[in-house]
Amino acid sequence: MADWKRLVRDKLAPLRLTPAAENELVDEIAQHLDDLHRELREGGASADEAYRDTVAELDDIYALRRGLDRNQRMPFTEPAPSGAQPTSSLVYDVVRDLRYAGRMMRANPTFVVFVVLTLGLGIGANTTVFTLINRLLLHPLPVTEPADLVAFAGVESAASPSSAALLPLSYPNFQTVKADNDVFASVAGFTGKRVVTLQANGASQGMLCEFVTGDYFSTLGMSAAAGRLLAPQEDRSPGVHALAILNHGAWQRRFGGRADVIGSELRLNGVAVTVIGVTRPGFIGVNGLVGPDIWLPFSMAETLLPTEMRGVYTDRGKAVLQGIARLRPGIHASQAQSNLTSIASVLARDYPAANDGYTVAVRSISDFTFAGGSQMVRFASLVLTAVVGIVLLIACSNVANLLLARAASRSHEMSVRVALGASGGRLMRQMLTESTCLGLLSGDAGLLIGYGATKLLSRSVPMSGTFVAPEIDGTVLVFTLAASVVTGIAFGIVPAASAARASVAGGLGSVRIAGQSRRRITLGRMLLVAQVALSFLLLVTALLFLRSIRQAYDVDPGFQTARLAVFLTNPGQAGYDEAQSRAFYRELRGRVAALPGIAGASWSSNLPLWARATTGVQVEGQPSRSRTDSSAAVVLTVDHGYFPVSGVALARGRDFTDADQSSSMPVAIVNEKFAQDYWPGQDALGHRVQLPGETMMRQIVGVARNANYTLWAEAPQRCVYVPLDQNVLPAMTLYVRSAGDPKTVLVSVGQAITAVAPLVLVSGVRTGSEIVDGGLFQARMGVMLLGVFGVLALGLASIGLYGNLAYAVNQRQREIGVRMALGADRSTVRQLILRQGLSLVSVGVVIGLAAALLTGRALSGLLFGVGGTDPVSLAGAALVLSVVALCACYLPARRATRVDPLMALRQE
Amino acid sequence: MPHLMDPEWKKGSAELLVMSLLDDQPRHGYDISKLIKLRSDGALQFHVTSLYPLLHRLEKQGLIDGRWVEQPEQRRRRYYSLTAEGRRALRSKQQSWKDFVALIGRVTGLEHG
Repeated sequence: MADWKRLVRDKLAPLRLTPAAENELVDEIAQHLDDLHRELREGGASADEAYRDTVAELDDIYALRRGLDRNQRMPFTEPAPSGAQPTSSLVYDVVRDLRYAGRMMRANPTFVVFVVLTLGLGIGANTTVFTLINRLLLHPLPVTEPADLVAFAGVESAASPSSAALLPLSYPNFQTVKADNDVFASVAGFTGKRVVTLQANGASQGMLCEFVTGDYFSTLGMSAAAGRLLAPQEDRSPGVHALAILNHGAWQRRFGGRADVIGSELRLNGVAVTVIGVTRPGFIGVNGLVGPDIWLPFSMAETLLPTEMRGVYTDRGKAVLQGIARLRPGIHASQAQSNLTSIASVLARDYPAANDGYTVAVRSISDFTFAGGSQMVRFASLVLTAVVGIVLLIACSNVANLLLARAASRSHEMSVRVALGASGGRLMRQMLTESTCLGLLSGDAGLLIGYGATKLLSRSVPMSGTFVAPEIDGTVLVFTLAASVVTGIAFGIVPAASAARASVAGGLGSVRIAGQSRRRITLGRMLLVAQVALSFLLLVTALLFLRSIRQAYDVDPGFQTARLAVFLTNPGQAGYDEAQSRAFYRELRGRVAALPGIAGASWSSNLPLWARATTGVQVEGQPSRSRTDSSAAVVLTVDHGYFPVSGVALARGRDFTDADQSSSMPVAIVNEKFAQDYWPGQDALGHRVQLPGETMMRQIVGVARNANYTLWAEAPQRCVYVPLDQNVLPAMTLYVRSAGDPKTVLVSVGQAITAVAPLVLVSGVRTGSEIVDGGLFQARMGVMLLGVFGVLALGLASIGLYGNLAYAVNQRQREIGVRMALGADRSTVRQLILRQGLSLVSVGVVIGLAAALLTGRALSGLLFGVGGTDPVSLAGAALVLSVVALCACYLPARRATRVDPLMALRQE
Repeated sequence: MPHLMDPEWKKGSAELLVMSLLDDQPRHGYDISKLIKLRSDGALQFHVTSLYPLLHRLEKQGLIDGRWVEQPEQRRRRYYSLTAEGRRALRSKQQSWKDFVALIGRVTGLEHG
C-alpha cells in the first residue's frame, strides 16, 4: 500500500502549517485517501487508476490553504518588528531572515546558479592560490614547533649576514658549531640532494638522496610512519651504519607501500643499505619544493660517493652540509647569531686556510626551504594573490550589479515590508543575510573548484611523491569560509544599502521615483566600469608576460637546441674506476657516433643550463684573489667534438683533440667573457689558468663564444673548458646531435649505452627543445596562470556587461518603443544601445590603461625584452577587450531593435 | 438574503450539506464525502482539500465536534457530530434554504411545475 501519510505530508509542506495542525490533517486525510483507494480497487479499478484517482484528490492544495484558519498556518509575512525588544528577537530575526533567504533562493534557481557559478569561480581561484601559499609560505615545514627552528650556514664576512648567499659548511666546522654553541638545544646537518644508483633485478634506476646527520629527524621532531628513523649515534663512524629512511611518497611510488620493504636491503651505488623506516606523508625534508627519495646517514656519504665526498669528514675546506638547529627555550635568533659569529671568528683564526673571509649566519628556516628562491616565491605569491583577488572583485561586482537590477524588481516587496513597519536597518540586514547565504553557497562551490584545481596541479607535477603537495586543510577551510562571508557582504552591501532606502511610495505606487532608480543605475555603471578596468589590467599583464616569454624563446643561448639530445650517465656509481670510466666514455662516443641518424656525439660534465659557477679559478700574472673575491667561473669538462656537437662556436684558437691527454700539456679553453675580463684588448691564447683543486697551470688554447650555462637568457658568466682526457669524472653527460628529429634517436642511443654498460644509470634524457622548455618552466607556468585568470576576468566582465545592457534594454522598452513609433529606424536604436555600452567600456579601458601603466612599471623587472608599458600589449588588450565588449553589447542592442512599438506602449 | 454570486453563499451551501449529514449520526470525513457523492449521483463532489478545512472551520465555530476514535484492526478515525449550537444553526440554515428555494420557485414559476 502507498504511504499516504508521507504523500500528504509532502503535499502540505509548502503550506507551512503549525506542527499540531499538520499532524491532525495528515492523519485524517491519509485515512481518507486509504479508504478511497481501497474502495476504488474493490470497485474494479486497476492499481494505477486507483492510485491516480486517489492522488488527484490532493491536486488543488491551495483550496486547502484558503480554507485553513490563519492560526493553523505559520506566519508568512513577518509582523511589524517596530516595538519588539531588539535583544530577545535577534535570534528569531536571524532565523526568520535565513528562512526568508532560503525561500528567495528556492524561488529563483537560475539566479542562484548564476551567482554560485560566478562567485564560485572567483572563490575557487582564491582558494587554489591560498592552498599553495598556505603550504609553501605559511606551513613550509610539516614538523613540530617550526618557529623554534633556525637555519645556519656559511656566508662571506664582507657580505650582509641577513641577505648574503648561504654556503654549505664543512663537516669539521659543523661539528665545531655543534659542540661550542650555547644557544641550540639540538643541531643537525644535511647535504644537498645527490643522485645515487639503485641496482635491482639487473637494472639501474636513479634515486635522489640526502645525507643527514643522526639527529636530523629528532631535531625536526619527526616521527616515522612505519619502522623507525635515524638515532643520533647512527652517524658517528664512517661507513658503519648502512641504514636508509624512505620518503613516504617514494615508498608508495617505487615500492607500492609494501611493509616488507622495511628491513630489506637496497643496493645503492653498489653498497648494501638496510631500510629501517618511512617518514610521515607530506614531509619532504627541509627543502620546500622537491624532497629526496631516501635519506642516508651522513657517515655513509664517502662510502656511497667516494670521489665526490673524499675526505669529507676531516677536510675543513670541503663544504657540503647545511645546518639546522632548534633554539633553546628563551633564546632569540639574534642571540644565536652573536654566539655563532664568535665561534666563526675562532674558526677563521684557527683554520684560516679554509675559513678566512667567512662567517656563520643564523637565518630563518624558510631561507632553506626555497634555496635562495624565497624572494621569488614570495613575489610570485603576491602577484597571484593580487590577480585572483581582482578576479573575485570582478565576480563580486558582477553579482552586485545583478542584485541591483533585481532590487529594482523587488522594490515592490521592499515597500510592502516598509509599509508593514520594517525599518531600513531591518531590510538591510535581511538583504545581507541573503547575500551572505549566497556567498556561503558559492564558497562551497569554490572549495570544490579549489580542490579540483589543487589535485590537477599536483597531478601535473612529474615527481609526485617527492614534490610538495599542497592540500586543503583547516587553515584553507577557514580562509574559504572567511572569503565567502566577506564576498557575501561585499557584493551584498550596495544592493542592501539601496534596499534600506526603499520607501512605501517608491514601490507601491506605479510611479517610479526617478532619483532612486537613477542612483541604482549609476552605481551599476560604476561597477561595470571598474570591471572593465580590472579585466583590462589583467589582460595587459597576461599579454606582457606572453610577449616576454616569446622574446625569451628567441634568445640565442649560445648553443644549438635543435636536433640535440642529452643523456646523463654515471659510471662512477656503477663501480667504474677512472680507467674504466675513460674507456666507457671513449667506446660509447664512438659507438653512438656510428649509429644511423646521428651527426655527432661528445661528452660534457653538465646538462645544458645545469652548470654552477665555482670560485677559486686562478689566473697567472693576476694578483691572487681570495675566495671572497668574485672570481667565480663555470668550469666544464668536455670531450673533443663537444663544440660542434653542442653548437657552441669557437671564436679563436683550436678545439681539444686526441692529442690532449693526461700525459701531455694541460690545456683549457675559456669563453669570451673570461678572456675579456682578464685580458681586455689582448689575446687570451697562450695565457695560463689554474683551476680549484689542481696544482698545475693550464694553457689556454682556444676562446669559445659565450653561452648560457645556468639560466636561460642569463647575464654572461665566465667559463673555463677542460678536456675530458685530462680530467676524467665519474659522471658525464652525452651530447648527441641528430640528423633529424632528436626524438627518433633517444631509443637507439639508450640501447647503445645499455649494450656498452648495462649497469650504468642513464638519467636526465631530454631533447634540446625540452631543455629550453625546462629553462622557461617558471615563466611558462606564470603566463599560463595569468592567461587563465585574465580570460576568466574578461569572461566575467563581459557577462556583466551583457547582463547590464540586456536589463537596460528591458527597462527602456517603452522609450525605445516611443522612439520607433516616432520614426527611429533600427540602426538608430542599435546605435543608441551600443553607444551606451561602449561608452562604459571606453571609460573602463582608460582607467585600466592608467592602472596598467603603473603596474607595468612595477613588473618591468620580471619582463624579458619587453617594457612594462609595451604598446603592443596595451593595444592588444584594448583590442581583445573591445571585440568581446562589442559582442556583449551587440546582443542586447539587437534585441532592442526587435522591440515592437505597439507592444511596448501597451505594456504601460 | 445573500447575493447569489456571493462566495459566502457557496460556502454556506457546503456547510449546509455537511451539517445535514451529521444530523442523524456522527460520521467521519470519508463517510461524509461518499454520502454527498452518492446522494447527488456524483454531481456534487468534495475533494479532501476543501472538505477538511470546512470541517475544521465548523469545529472551530463550535458547530460540530470532532473526536478521534480508535477501532481494532483499523487506523484511528476522526468522527464529527453536531453540537447543540450546530443543531440550532442547521435548523436556521435549512429554513433559509427552504425560503430560498421557494423564492426561486415563485419567481420562475416552477413552484407547481
